[in-house]
Amino acid sequence: MDKVLESAGMKKSFGRSLLYTLPMFLITFMFMTGGKPNFSDPASALAMMTAFLLVNVLYFFMHYTGKTDRYRAVLFIIFALSLSYTLIHNMLEVRKSMSFSQADILECKIPFCHLVIPMMILPAAFTKSIIFPGSIIGGFANISSMVLLWLVATVVLGRGFCSWGCFYGGWDDGFSRIRKKPVIKKISELWRWMPFAVLIMVALTSALALMPTYCSWICPFKAVTEFEQVTSVESATKAGIFLSLFGGLVIALPVMTRKRTQCSFLCPMGAVNTLSNKITPFTLKIDKQACTECLKCVEVCPLYALTPEDVKAGKVSLFCSRCGKCVDACSKRAIHYGIRGIPAGTMKNFSRNLFLFVSFLFMAIFSAGSIISTFQGLFKFIF
Amino acid sequence: MKKVKIIAGISWAFLCLILIIILFPGLNSFSVSVSKLPFMKLNPRYTGGEIANQVISKSCTLDIRRPVFNGFLKERNSGFVQLDWHGTIPDMIKDSIDFDHDGNKDFCISINRKDSKTVLNPFNKKVKEVLISTPTSYGWAARVKLVN
Repeated sequence: MDKVLESAGMKKSFGRSLLYTLPMFLITFMFMTGGKPNFSDPASALAMMTAFLLVNVLYFFMHYTGKTDRYRAVLFIIFALSLSYTLIHNMLEVRKSMSFSQADILECKIPFCHLVIPMMILPAAFTKSIIFPGSIIGGFANISSMVLLWLVATVVLGRGFCSWGCFYGGWDDGFSRIRKKPVIKKISELWRWMPFAVLIMVALTSALALMPTYCSWICPFKAVTEFEQVTSVESATKAGIFLSLFGGLVIALPVMTRKRTQCSFLCPMGAVNTLSNKITPFTLKIDKQACTECLKCVEVCPLYALTPEDVKAGKVSLFCSRCGKCVDACSKRAIHYGIRGIPAGTMKNFSRNLFLFVSFLFMAIFSAGSIISTFQGLFKFIF
Repeated sequence: MKKVKIIAGISWAFLCLILIIILFPGLNSFSVSVSKLPFMKLNPRYTGGEIANQVISKSCTLDIRRPVFNGFLKERNSGFVQLDWHGTIPDMIKDSIDFDHDGNKDFCISINRKDSKTVLNPFNKKVKEVLISTPTSYGWAARVKLVN
């Protein structure tokens, strides 16, 4: 395998890998420090340096080993954990609770996340307003910044956002890696259309109710962020639903199937990002001449994006999130990162380098704030 | 044609690279532009509606907001009126409200801030019940259910 990676130019020498890491090193340094590193608070400085080194070491190893998913997943999972830590820590400090009150809703103080976007579209078009009790501009996780971040990310990365930008995806990605072999081996690929059904349902119900129904009733990630105070039968039912979905789709099923079941079967944002896969310049390509149809890629794909028929046809479906698991698993390097317009089997190394730089840079900068804040908390706790 | 496709693909990929590089340093200013888009305002169901009338007393101010009946395509049959008290609020709040500005009081609301007990005394058939009565960072807020 190493020889295949080396001959394909994916696995690089130490010096060459350092050279490829240099632009990431400089850009992340500028973003994380603002160009002026501040060492007045040792815990903050140490946290910043640790996060900076973590990001760049992972990127270096992507080039040095030629493996993508292994190192992407480390940052992706840390991003998910650190965002939840940061949010929960802030809420406990400000509100002394993970739940939000009626006053928080009335004062429009709820942090906005990208999962609300599919539900905002119809009301925004018909009522010219946003149906979420958050802040339009200013404050933590405001609506304008989050919409802008998601919009650019989805145009640039398509469904790649689900593996390189989503701060929830790391949860089921992490749980899907716990067991070495799956207990449940076969789930019908028809289920991968389920997020479209969820998308249609939540888009229509949200428009009719003028409230984000997915957030109110379904979103399993309320278990690791914030939720409505349990004060009535309705709020208790909501809590029961999101806890069950978190336990089932984010923990149990990923452990048993080694797949990202929440992302594959529930997330409406995944459905929207699937559609934007048509726009992004970055794709995965199958080199039919090199492919032996061993179907290892189908087996490892965490999002049910590859079927034996796709492999035979030499095409990767729109469900692909470019996590790179199949690329790492392919011993012939037949499946590879590509750029739209460039034929399969050509310019493999160039396409991978460009995609990795764009997607990793997005994840590194997007996650930096919460990772630094988590390390800061950790160092303050230790020392 | 093949070459054109390759050049177009690579150009689009590099444009995306530039987009990502400028996104974060420009996030604040780009977000301000996004916030000025016509649909970028919160629905009155969340803000409570515009302030229609202010009642100023010695120590506190009561904002009576415009009744909200907003629906997706048309107005709904039921809605609410939001009341916000600011400033130094007494432990017992008692106010009579004319939300439709017809010169007649529509309901009287009494709130005991110590135990949050809220009593509504409607004088108008359109006034139904108290939906929310809660302390806020600025004082106290209440929403009263109305029907059209």
